[in-house]
Parts: sequence; structure tokens; C-alpha cells
Amino acid sequence: MSQDLLAQRGVSHRLDAYVVGATFNRSGTRVGFGLCDGCVVIGSQSGEWPRFETHDGGLLAITPDLAEGFLSGGDDGALSRTGLDGTISRVAQFGSKWVEQVASYGDAAAGLIACSVGKNLILFDQGGQKLKELPHPSTVTGIAFDAKGKRIAASHYGGASLWYAMAKTDNPRKLEWKGSHTGVTIHPGGEAVVTSMQENALHGWRLTDGQHMRMSGYPAKTGSLSWSRHGKWLASSGADAIVLWPFTGGGPMGKPPLELAQIPDIVCTKVAFHPAHDIVAAGYADGTVAMADIGGERVLRVKAPGDGEVSALAWNPQGTLLAFGTEEGLAGIVDLTAR
Amino acid sequence: MPDLIPVTVLTGYLGAGKTTLLNRILTEQHGKRYAVVINEFGELGVDNDLVVESDEEVFEMNNGCACCTVRGDLIRIITALLKRRGRFDGIIVETTGLANPAPVAQTFFIDENLRAKTRLDAIVTVVDALNLPRRLLDSPEAAAQIAFADVVVVNKTDLVSAEELAAVEAQVREINQIVTILRSERGDVPIDQILGRGAFDLDRVLEFAPDFLTDDSHLHNVDITSVSFSVKRPIDPARFTKWIGALFAERAIDMLRTKGILAYPGEDRRYAFQAVHEIADGAFIGPWKEGPRESKIVFIGRNLNRPQLRRGFEACQVDE
Repeated sequence: MSQDLLAQRGVSHRLDAYVVGATFNRSGTRVGFGLCDGCVVIGSQSGEWPRFETHDGGLLAITPDLAEGFLSGGDDGALSRTGLDGTISRVAQFGSKWVEQVASYGDAAAGLIACSVGKNLILFDQGGQKLKELPHPSTVTGIAFDAKGKRIAASHYGGASLWYAMAKTDNPRKLEWKGSHTGVTIHPGGEAVVTSMQENALHGWRLTDGQHMRMSGYPAKTGSLSWSRHGKWLASSGADAIVLWPFTGGGPMGKPPLELAQIPDIVCTKVAFHPAHDIVAAGYADGTVAMADIGGERVLRVKAPGDGEVSALAWNPQGTLLAFGTEEGLAGIVDLTAR
Repeated sequence: MPDLIPVTVLTGYLGAGKTTLLNRILTEQHGKRYAVVINEFGELGVDNDLVVESDEEVFEMNNGCACCTVRGDLIRIITALLKRRGRFDGIIVETTGLANPAPVAQTFFIDENLRAKTRLDAIVTVVDALNLPRRLLDSPEAAAQIAFADVVVVNKTDLVSAEELAAVEAQVREINQIVTILRSERGDVPIDQILGRGAFDLDRVLEFAPDFLTDDSHLHNVDITSVSFSVKRPIDPARFTKWIGALFAERAIDMLRTKGILAYPGEDRRYAFQAVHEIADGAFIGPWKEGPRESKIVFIGRNLNRPQLRRGFEACQVDE
């Protein structure tokens, strides 16, 4: 078998801790690998990967900071910043509560930071000043900004709530569907909100008319969702292939999903759409990382099996670098620029 | 594959002595580390970074199963804890005094991730000898907590006479005739009799059952009871599956726990099964001992119609 892309044009390190999340910084040059032991490792294509003890306990979520570093939430109740130079600061501290979700939008000049703590979604401005605290009927399990940073969605029991971040009075649009919703994403064009569910399914709401969209048939839990650039496709984990639902021409209702990069009986655990092209990367339970091209239906192997389930996957904003992490603590960055 | 992490569910109404027992588990030198999910820090006087506070959030699964309620908060919290599984040897889930233990137990059978990485070890219920009779009258959860238990710790035995204690234990036994009863004064029971019991392991089903009562006691002051039957002819698997399936479909809410050991025709291994409501689990376990092979079944539940259940089970036998 030909060598995989990681061996040819990548770099990897053993971080010896479950990689909870991986995300590039805003300029796309560094990766923040968030680890289960509370550390953030800052990875790059060359040189050492410094490790910083950001949380006193476990790290639960990581996202790009508005400046060049990373934001993370932990079971130490902290919403923390880790700068590229290793400067660690607290945006907020919530006592013994877990900070389970984090999200950001914009840049250091104008942006928003969001995190969830129990049933509340808390919004901060770019300087870390708390703007508002938005309550939900049960614990918030996922949060997502829309592409313009105007709205933010939160998933919970019984559906999702869609808020206007800067509204003077906070009345969410309630998107209801019975069951436990475990994560959420908003269509890049603002057309729909989709949640992952406890029951091996996705649920969506078309925002123009509230039409329900049921996407089921997964053999395993869904959880990782990623939109193609303009929202024509929604990629999802939870099957032994990347499952892509079409969001065009009235879809996904009444249209079968596209299945790419199947590995028989091995569950796809993470998906990440390329930021510009119709290419989607995927990680699998056996440690494989692959990339599939929607038009040509070609599949490229990025990383061979092994090293534990793929638990983190991210592109840089330029779409030139792909980062991954696994449950056994292997983390890597692959250079995909044309040579 | 790494070993599955054992999970112990600790229940009991307020004031029974649950927190005292939990404090002992967390402070005693037994060489094991436990992650603990509790409802509120309250009086827990232990500084432990593996203690997690959680609001009990029960939801119904959308799978058409009437009593398929699970604890979503446990799924989230334990999934996160399992990422650091090297830091602890087991998990203890403490419930509030008003909680029904079923959703907690069902969570570990229904969520595929927890099912793959953890195993339910036992449901341990703490009651206090002085107040149990009153609690059984004023709180329906008190009886449910005993019904679901694998171990009942009868605490504060120093506050009652020997006769009162015997009456309390008879009440516990009437609700759940296969439960293990431990006595304590201040939660001072040996930790190894509470943790690591493997009560949900199929090869230990009914291991702790006393001799089956031929005549059930008739205290009749609680609506939850247990009934048990044994039959001598082998059980026809198809008949049994059909009967128990129909029974669970119709009566799932009333059937709290069921355990059985069955002799199938021409099969040298015992077939064991157990269920929490209608969520059942069964497998062949070790061989029968020499001698007659009796199939046994125990039902713990509400409004159990003993003659009807007996006839149903007897009709599952192969024809003479």
C-alpha cells in the first residue's frame, strides 16, 4: 500500500493524553490540541510543541481565541485563554461547575466569546466582559454561532434555542423536538439548525418555515457535524462512512444521503469539511484519517489505522493544513498545499 | 480491550446514612480511587477532584419503550470522565433520596458508549432501621429503591430493638426476596461487600438468592413485592421468549426487576438473564452441576399476579 499523507508530508507527536479537541488559531499557523489532563499543546509544522497546564483538572472543549491563541473550558470551572507564548489567563471562573462548551466569533477588535455552564449560555465581548447569561430548560450540550456572528444556537433536552446575540430583550426562538439533543450547528447561509441526538439520528429545523428535517439510519451515535462552504452539504459521523446530506432543492427531505470513504464496520467518529472546496476529511474508530472528494468520489488516506479512535479533526482557515488527534494521544498536522 | 469500569449506584432516602457511607468509601484506605457523581456537595466533607456535582436530568428515549428513561447528565459526565480513565478504578453515582433508580441503571444499558466502556456493578440502597417503616408508607420511592437494589444496607441498627430490626428486614425481604442485606450502625459495613459485587454479571445472577420461598410472606403494606418460581422440566426457548416479551410489553412499568436461570433442552450450560423494566440482557453461562436442573425466575414489581405468572412460567416448559 502506498504511504499515507502523514508519512509523506506531515508531522506527529505522542502527547500521552486523550486529545479532546483540536483547533487552528485565527491565522491558521498553529494548532491548539486540548488534552483530557487539562493541558493545551500548541502544535506547528516544525520545532517543539510546547505544553501548557491551562486547566487544573480536565479540559472539556477548545476553540480559537479572538486573538492568536486558544480558548478552552474545563472541569475546574474555568474559561481560559492560552496565548501562543504560553500566557494563561482566565476569562471567567464558575466555581465547581464544568465549562462544557466554548465558541468564538470575530477577532480581537470586534468579536464574541460564548461558553456553556450547566443550563446557561454565557456571552462575553472581545475583552472578556460578560454581556449576558441566557438560561435554558436543561443542560446545554452544544453551542454554535451562525456564519455572521449574529445568532447563537444551544442544544438541550427537547430541542434547541436560537438567540440573537445582541438583542435588547432575550427571547429565543424555540426549536422543539422530543428527545435529548447532544450537539448543534447552524447552516452557513442561516437556512437551518441541525442537532445530533442520543438516538443515532440528526434533527433539523428549516428556519424559514419551521419544517422538521429528520435524518436517521445511523448505526452509531452521531456527534460530529460539518457544513460545506456554502451549506450545500452537511457531513456527519455515526456510520461506517462519511454521511453527507444534501441541503439543496428542498433537501435533505426525501433525498438519500451520499456515503463516502466507507471502511466496512469501522465507525466514522469525526468529520471536517474543507473551508473552500468540496472535500471532506474524516477520522474513524480504528485511527484512520481519510479525505474524500465529493465530485470525483476519490478517497485519499491521510493516516493509517492505529493509535486509538480519532477524537479531533480540524482544517486551518486557508484549507492548507489538516490536524488530527486520537484517544491514545497521537496528534498530527498534515500539509496539503500543492507541491 | 481494557477492563470495563465498574459503576455502583448508591441510593437511599434523605437521612438514611448515604452520605456517611460515601464519606467512608472515599476516605478509607482500600487502595482504590473512585470518581463520584453526586447530586449536591452538601455534607460531603471530602476534598476530591473526582467528585462531580450534577443535576439529575431524566429524559425519555424516542424508541417506543414506555419506561426507557435515562439520565442524560450521567451520559455527559461519565463520557467526559472516561477520557481520563487511568485516574480512577470505579465510579459511584449517588442519587437523591427522591430518585427512582431505574433511569440510572438503564443509562448504562442504553447508551452505547457507556455500555462499551463501563459495567453496572450493583445498586446499593441505604435505609435506616428506625425510619424505614414510616418511609415505606409516605414515599413510593423508598420501596422502589429497595426493589431495584442488589444490596440493602440497614443502617442505624443501634436505634432499634432486635424485634424491630427483624421486622424491618422482613419488610425489605418482602419487597425484594433476592437482595443481600447488610447491617450497620454508622455506615460501617465492609467496603468490599458493597463495591465490586458484579451483581449485574449474568454469571452471578441469583448467586446470592436464598432458598426460594415456597410461601411468600404477606405483610401487604407496600405495593411492591417479589415472587419466585422454579420448574423441573426444561424451558422451551421460543415459548419463554414469547411469554416474557409479551409480559414486558404489557407490564413494563410494573415489572421492576427480573432475574432468571433457565435450563434449555439439550443444553449443558445454564441460560441466565436479568432485566431492569423491559431492558433485558441474557447469555449462556457455566455448566449445570450434577443433579436435577431446575429453572428459576424471580419477579420484583407492582401488582404481580402470582397465579398468572406461575402458570405463564410453567407453560414455558417443554411438553411432557
